Amino acid sequence: MRVLLVEDDAALAESIARALRAESFAVDVADNGEDGGHLGATEAYDVAVLDLGLPRRDGLSVLAEWRSGGRTLPVLILTARDAWSDKVLGFKAGADDYLVKPFRVEELVMRLRALVRRAAGHAASVIQCGPLAFEAQTGQFQLDGMPLKLTAFEWRVLSCLMLRKDAVVERLDLLERVYEGDADVDSNSLEVIIGRLRRKIGASLIETVRGLGYRLTAAPA
Amino acid sequence: MRLLPRSLSGRLLATAAVTIAIALAFAAAAIGHVLERFVMSGLDDRLDAQIAIVSRAVGPDGTLDATKVIDLPPFDQAGSGWAWEVVGPAGTLRSASLKGVDLPLPSDDGPPWHRDRDRVRERPHPLEGTDASGLRIHYRIARLPTLRGDALVLAAGPRTIVDRPIRAAMLPLLLSVLLLGGFLALALVVQLRIGLRPLAKLRDRVAEVRTGRVRHITVDEPTELLPLVAELNALIDANEAAVARARGHVANLAHGLKTPLATLKLDLAEGDGRLREQVERMERQIRHHLGRARAAEPGAAAARVELTPHLNDLVAAMARIHADRDITPLVDLAPTLKVRCDAQDLDEMLGNLLDNAWRHARTRVRISARAADRMARIDIADDGPGMTPAQIAEITRGHRLDERGEGHGFGLAISRELAELHGGTLELGVSAAGGLSVVLRLPGGEA
Repeated sequence: MRVLLVEDDAALAESIARALRAESFAVDVADNGEDGGHLGATEAYDVAVLDLGLPRRDGLSVLAEWRSGGRTLPVLILTARDAWSDKVLGFKAGADDYLVKPFRVEELVMRLRALVRRAAGHAASVIQCGPLAFEAQTGQFQLDGMPLKLTAFEWRVLSCLMLRKDAVVERLDLLERVYEGDADVDSNSLEVIIGRLRRKIGASLIETVRGLGYRLTAAPA
Repeated sequence: MRLLPRSLSGRLLATAAVTIAIALAFAAAAIGHVLERFVMSGLDDRLDAQIAIVSRAVGPDGTLDATKVIDLPPFDQAGSGWAWEVVGPAGTLRSASLKGVDLPLPSDDGPPWHRDRDRVRERPHPLEGTDASGLRIHYRIARLPTLRGDALVLAAGPRTIVDRPIRAAMLPLLLSVLLLGGFLALALVVQLRIGLRPLAKLRDRVAEVRTGRVRHITVDEPTELLPLVAELNALIDANEAAVARARGHVANLAHGLKTPLATLKLDLAEGDGRLREQVERMERQIRHHLGRARAAEPGAAAARVELTPHLNDLVAAMARIHADRDITPLVDLAPTLKVRCDAQDLDEMLGNLLDNAWRHARTRVRISARAADRMARIDIADDGPGMTPAQIAEITRGHRLDERGEGHGFGLAISRELAELHGGTLELGVSAAGGLSVVLRLPGGEA
C-alpha cells in the first residue's frame, strides 16, 4: 500500500512517515500543496493524507481539484482545524475521513487501512482467500489461522493482491504501489518478491497472467 | 443643591414650566392692566362729560351761573360717590350730593390741589382718593382759564364702578390663563414624549445589538441622533474586529501548537507513559480553550440559520467518519426550521451530539427537529447503552465523564455550554430504544 502524505511541518511529516513505514506502508511525502496536488493527480496511491493549511496551495483546493479531475483515491484530511464546520467543508470537498491533530498514530493507521479496504469494495474487515486471511484493520495476514510474517515489500504486494483478489493486477500497477516515488525500481525485483511470497503461502494462490500481471485466487485455474 | 433635575425630560419640563409660568403671569398682569384702563376710560368719559356740562356754568369773566347746570342723577344723590364741584375765582358750585361740603381731595403730596392751581392742567386728568364716608373715589379734574383767573372743574365717581367689572372679568381671565397653562403643560408633556421617544427607540436598538438579534443599529431619524448612531455602529464594528482578532490569535496559537504536539505525541508513541499523559493534558487544554475562544460571544452576528442544511451536512459527515459502523440515520426535519445561533457554534453543538450518538448507537440514530414554543427543538436519540441517571446528573452539573475527551462527556459538556450561551438548553434522558436521548432547544422556529 502506497500513501501520499502532504504535510508541510517537516518534523511531523517525518514522524508520520516513520510510523507508517513501520506498518509496512510505502510513503511519499510532499511538503506543499502544489507538489502534493501534482503527485496525487499523476501517481498511483492507495490513499492520501492531506493537511489543510499548506504553503503555496490550500489542501481543500488540492482535494477539490483531484475530485473534479476524476481522482477517486481515498483521502484522509489531517489537520489542526477541529471545528465541525471545517470538517463539513472537508467532506464537501470530497474527503473520505477527517482526523484532527494531535492524534494517535494507531488511529491514523487504522483509519488509513479502513479507507483502502473500503475503496477496494470490501465492507467486512477480514478478507479471506482460501487458507489466507487478511485482517484489514490490523494489517495482519494469517495462513490457516497462523500469523504470517512478511517483510514490508512482501506485505505491500500481498495486501495489494488480496484487496483485489480474483482480479488481475497489472505488473506496473503493482510496482507503483510497492515502491516509494524516489526508489530505484528494478522490475526484476517484483519477480523475486512474488517468488518469496509463493514459498510462504503456497505457489498455487498467486497466479501469473502472462503479459498482464498477477492474480491472487483460491479457485483452481 | 442641584438646580437642574438629573433626567433630560425633567430638565426640559422644569425649564419650560418656569418660562411658561413667567409668561402667563406677565400676560395675566398685562391683560388685567389693559382691562382696567379700558373700564376706567368709560368712567373717565362719563366724568369728562360731566366736567363739560358743569363748565358751562363758568362764564368767561369767571362768574358762576348755577342755573346753567342741571344736577341730574346720580350726581344729586348723597353718599353715592358721584359728585362735581366748580371752584371759580368768585365762588364755588357743588353737586347736590355733596350737600354743601367740599370734595375731600387727596393731599398726599404738596399743598391741596385747589391751593396750587399750577399743578392742574387744562385738559381733564385723573386723581384718586376717598370721600367723607371712606368710599374710594375716582376724580377728574380740569383747569378752566377765565378773565379773572383760573377755575377748577372736578367730577368724581365711585371707584367700585371700575372695580366691579374688573373683579367680574378677573375670574374668567384667571381661569383662561390657567387653562392656557394647562394646555401648554400638556403640549409640553406630549412634546417631550414624542421628542424623547427616539432615545427609547435607540436604547431598544442597542439592546437588540447586545442580545444579538441584529448586528448594527439602523435608525434613520431623527437627524440629531444620526451622528451618535454612526459612532455607535463604528464602535460595534471596532469591538467586533477586536474580538475577531482575539479569537483569531487564540485559534492560531492553538492550531500552531497542535502540529508540534502531534509530532511529540507520535514520537512518544512507544515511550514514557507519564510524558504521554502530559501531552494529552496539554491537548485537552488546547481543545478546551480553543472551543471557548471559538464560541461566538452571545450576540455576535447571530443571524437566523437554516437548520436543515447544517444537519444534513453533518449527518453525511458522520456517515463518512463512522463508515465502518453500520448506523442508519432516521432523519425527520421540519424543512423551514431556523435557529438564531452562530452557524459555526450550531455545527459544533450538533456535530458533537451526532458524533456521540454515532459512537454509541448499535444500529440507528433518530434525528428529528421541529418548532416548539418559539424554540427549535432538536431530538437526537441512539439505541446504544445510554447513560445512568447518575451519569446524566454529572454531565448536567458540568462534569465531564471521560477525561480523555472521547466518550459521551466531553462533547455533551461543550454542546451544553454552547446551547446555554445562545439562550438554549440541552437535556439528557433515556431514548425509547434504551439509549441516550438528547433534546437540544435553541431560540428560533419555523420561518
